[in-house]
Amino acid sequence: MTRGAVLLGGLGVALAVLCLVAASVGQVNVPPDQVIGSILHRVGLDVGPRPTALRGDDALWVVRFPRVALAVVTGAALGCSGTVMQGVFGNPLAEPAVIGVSWGAAVGAATVIVFGLTVLGDWTIVAAAFGCGLGTTLLVYTVSRFAGRTEVVTLLLTGIAVNAVASALLGLLMFAAGNDALRAITAWNLGSLAGANWGAVATVTPLAAAGCAVAFGCARRLDLLSLGERTARHLGVDVERLRFTAIVVIALLTSSAVAFAGVIAFVGLVVPHLIRMVVGPGHRTLIPASALGGAVVLVAADLVARTAIAYQELPLGVLTALIGGPFFFWLLRRARSGSGGWA
Amino acid sequence: MIRPARAAALALAGALLLGGCAAGTAGRPPGGTDTAARCGAGTVAAPRGDPEPVASPETPRLPVTVRSADGRDVTVRDARRVLAVNLYGSLAEIVHGLGLGDRLVGRDVSTTFPAARHLPLVTGQGHDLSAEGVLKLNPSVVIADRSIGPPEALEQLRRSGVPVVLVDDRQTLDAIGPHIGAVAEALGVPGAGRALADRVRDRIGAAAKSAPRDRPTVAFLYVRGTVGVYLIGGDGAGSDAMIEAVGATDAGTAIGLSGFRPITSEGLINAAPDVLLVMTAGLKSVGGVSGLIKLPGIAQTPAGRNRRIIDVDDGTLLSFGPRTGETISALAAAVYRTCG
Amino acid sequence: MIGLRVRRPITPRPVPPGSAAVEIRGLQVERGARTVLDGVDLTVRTGEVLALVGPNGAGKSTLLAAVGGDVAFTGGISVDGAPLATWGHTELAMRRAILLQRQTMSFPFTVAQVVRMGRAPWAGTPLEDDDDAAVAEAMRETDVSEFADRPHPRLSGGEQARVALARVLAQRTGTLLLDEPTAALDLHHQEMVFDVVRERASAGAAVVTVVHDLGLAAAHADRVAVLAEGRLVACGPPGDVLTAEMLSAVYRHDIEVLPHPRTGRPLILPRRAAPG
Repeated sequence: MTRGAVLLGGLGVALAVLCLVAASVGQVNVPPDQVIGSILHRVGLDVGPRPTALRGDDALWVVRFPRVALAVVTGAALGCSGTVMQGVFGNPLAEPAVIGVSWGAAVGAATVIVFGLTVLGDWTIVAAAFGCGLGTTLLVYTVSRFAGRTEVVTLLLTGIAVNAVASALLGLLMFAAGNDALRAITAWNLGSLAGANWGAVATVTPLAAAGCAVAFGCARRLDLLSLGERTARHLGVDVERLRFTAIVVIALLTSSAVAFAGVIAFVGLVVPHLIRMVVGPGHRTLIPASALGGAVVLVAADLVARTAIAYQELPLGVLTALIGGPFFFWLLRRARSGSGGWA
Repeated sequence: MIRPARAAALALAGALLLGGCAAGTAGRPPGGTDTAARCGAGTVAAPRGDPEPVASPETPRLPVTVRSADGRDVTVRDARRVLAVNLYGSLAEIVHGLGLGDRLVGRDVSTTFPAARHLPLVTGQGHDLSAEGVLKLNPSVVIADRSIGPPEALEQLRRSGVPVVLVDDRQTLDAIGPHIGAVAEALGVPGAGRALADRVRDRIGAAAKSAPRDRPTVAFLYVRGTVGVYLIGGDGAGSDAMIEAVGATDAGTAIGLSGFRPITSEGLINAAPDVLLVMTAGLKSVGGVSGLIKLPGIAQTPAGRNRRIIDVDDGTLLSFGPRTGETISALAAAVYRTCG
Repeated sequence: MIGLRVRRPITPRPVPPGSAAVEIRGLQVERGARTVLDGVDLTVRTGEVLALVGPNGAGKSTLLAAVGGDVAFTGGISVDGAPLATWGHTELAMRRAILLQRQTMSFPFTVAQVVRMGRAPWAGTPLEDDDDAAVAEAMRETDVSEFADRPHPRLSGGEQARVALARVLAQRTGTLLLDEPTAALDLHHQEMVFDVVRERASAGAAVVTVVHDLGLAAAHADRVAVLAEGRLVACGPPGDVLTAEMLSAVYRHDIEVLPHPRTGRPLILPRRAAPG
């Protein structure tokens, strides 16, 4: 437990430092002390230097802060949903993008954009992403389970099928889309935080926070679930209810991540894995640590995406996939040798 | 995945076609227009130099409140640092044409005329604006249209207190005048705007008048790489207006397509264009004229048989701005060129 | 999901030895068109070790699954004096622990963590304070303390079986339902398991254990229940039930039963031709 506490503390500090760095790096030059100064002035404390760069305050408050905030929320949601998904599938290879849930959610969001739906205002996109994400999660879950467990091969094959259908639907939507919608859908496919604004942050944060909180509430039961469903039930877990809760949480977290940032793959796969290697598989540490870790990874990745090449922006989802893809290969091989086959 | 034998066969077919072309137009079926027999491939280069500023530049009279194309009323108080960006680079050209070129502080990727080339780019990802890149330049007014985005970036600029004026983004010859007027009004130089619009209208009229009007069919193809998928410009794509302006028929519009649409090789054969219009970089990406002719369907059109392929500098054809008159003249010259 | 409990779980109260821990009346279980259990009546009392024996496919594991609430059934099953359906998940977990034949583990929890999972039902009750003691005791009893910090997937099959038993023992329930707890174990550990089980029974637990080794059943059980083709064909002290006639009929094999020269308990052997 102390090891977990150290890790959580370390991740928290790392996240804070990284956020400060991310907020201070960009085309408009605002050093960290001025970032802190700007925040202090905004909350009414007349301490520290204000940004000296032209439009420095605007660059921070209109562009960078919402972007960093969205990176934190999205990263936490992805890390957490990956963890819950792996827990409930009892399978360390489950991840929202790998098994198609992210893409399902993206289809929902793209539909809203293409047809210009605004039934629920700002929430329309999130609601559509959530609906489709939930449907996809249920579908993958029911299809890939057999006799109370989820085989790796079945899960991955289901993911392939779901991804194929989802990308076909996305293609269809792109075909039907006008210019603006096309741009938005493309941005989704690649994943990006460029469109971050406070509205998006305000929409997504409560959902992601609720999802993470409920996930944390399920932590102990997710531990027991790794003994198998029957044994978990014998130990007092209402497995049906846990499963249902977990699926709603996964859909909620995935759709809140996808709604504004698009499909950012592999964060939900890599982060829980690394955390597990450090503190073991206990979900009471794993869930908060994965949320923090996901936030750290995404803030860092976005920082690289927007600063690696001057005046250019790398697509964030492409960046994470470039790093996460090889990791997935390695994991696949390890899982195979670990279980002595494709069990 | 083409097997070697097939690749060889294709190359052979290409060689035969080249031979056929060299032998003249003997293989052509009767009934084609004379245009098809005109001479080979041609190039329309981008207009050189800077857009010519109006003769009598005006000092902006500010503040002005204008109705932006998104329906908002925007007040411009200061036009000393102007950022004019869109997909085609035409807005920056208009600002330069209004005599305010020295006030431009940044550019989009399509703005490449010499006086603006040194300006910092503000498009971070492809044609998307980077809000921070724009803020860094501290513009006092941003002029854009819906061809550039993302909307979130424009919204971020508005929230930062930068006036953002959107201009209507119809890409037609008739829209150039209103575009110039809208930009001029937003910058407080309506007189210069009228002068520029008049000049542009006169040049377009003159260029269009000089064309022989024997109505060849011209298709604008957007090709990129040899994957065999290409888009054809149809009604409202922008290319149609330019093709009509030189007195030709737009092949895409004629077969009932609108915007840019993927076309199959059969569709292209049916459209039977006498001349193919492509982007210079696109043509390069398929391996030049001979590479283009190897794409399925191209060789079977009159244009392919006669190698009547005209490449236009990227961005020039679809940029409806102060230099469109020059582009039309150059295009007409290329379409109606005769073998010397 | 969090804390949406209708009522607080009722913790079990101590009962005198010999009271009914599990009562099964007219139990019938169908799997598809097949009747797996048919009219089984059985009462398991506190303080006793009941061995459940019978040939493959007789319905032994299904009987445990029915009591565990894993399969749909008709008839009546009562645990701790009340029908199964009236208990909540946690309440049942406070009353009976179940060891399944096969162990699964999705993530590399350590042995100590796995055993501690057995304490889950007691979270939030005063008995939570016993967690450390219960875990330590269960690990000592099953001889797994020395690899407490090893990840579960690195253990051998027998070691994993003992860890699972430790988890079940740590649950400290009045009823233990064990499906072949000795199957993967060496002789020493087989005997150890029955010593532990006997100790728990003496302390007031009711123990039901499925065993294939009739010798183990004869040596350690207070009563033996014989299942064949879904029916309970005999139930009583080993000496009464485990007769050559009964076993030969049930197992469709010629079986001889001899009294142990020292203890007098039955020794059960398939009749084999003398060598040479």
